[in-house]
Amino acid sequence: MAPKPKEKAKASAVATPAISIEDLFTSLNRHIQRSEYEQAVKVSDQILAAAPGDEDAIRCKVVALVKADSIEEALVTIKDCSKKGSVDLSFFKAYCLYRQNKLEEALESLKGQEGSTELMLLESQILYRLGKMDASVDIYQKLPKSTIDSLEINLVAGLVSAGRSSEVQGTLDSL
Amino acid sequence: FPPAFQPVPRNPIVLDLAYNLIEFPSLDSRMKKDKKGFISRFWG
Repeated sequence: MAPKPKEKAKASAVATPAISIEDLFTSLNRHIQRSEYEQAVKVSDQILAAAPGDEDAIRCKVVALVKADSIEEALVTIKDCSKKGSVDLSFFKAYCLYRQNKLEEALESLKGQEGSTELMLLESQILYRLGKMDASVDIYQKLPKSTIDSLEINLVAGLVSAGRSSEVQGTLDSL
Repeated sequence: FPPAFQPVPRNPIVLDLAYNLIEFPSLDSRMKKDKKGFISRFWG
């Protein structure tokens, strides 16, 4: 007679399993490894429901949305989060604006940030689209050489579009 | 015949290199660690 209530308690614990944040991150990580970005967004949302404002979950959600080509949704998420929290998402914001061809806004979002490689690459791509070829090329030439795959493709495009085709060979030789 | 090949001007290609640098944060410290400990007990 005595064990009965115990069994009942066990059964109810199984019926409503509390998924830990760690388990959710394990699942999120698995989706990321398998490039299942829509699933990754859903799990990120589950984490955020349990732990609002979790920085890793926010970043994962935004990156997963970008990789799933849901640029507009990514922007909405970024705007929501920057109202609430202190997570700096301005690089992602600038990238999404660039993808929507809102180039001036994108540049604005990059302002006042440190010159990391990804920021510089993005800024250069924005300047290229704005037709500011010389400024675009200048940034590529400041980047550490031969650390970025295919950088020479954009560099040559910038030089040619800037009317500096004569510099192409020399620049390629220096890479 | 056939006519000789001729070079044709075209717009230069620009790649979205920034996209390749959009990466997920490392989640290693956010996942359960006991699994690794369990395995390293045998192989460590």
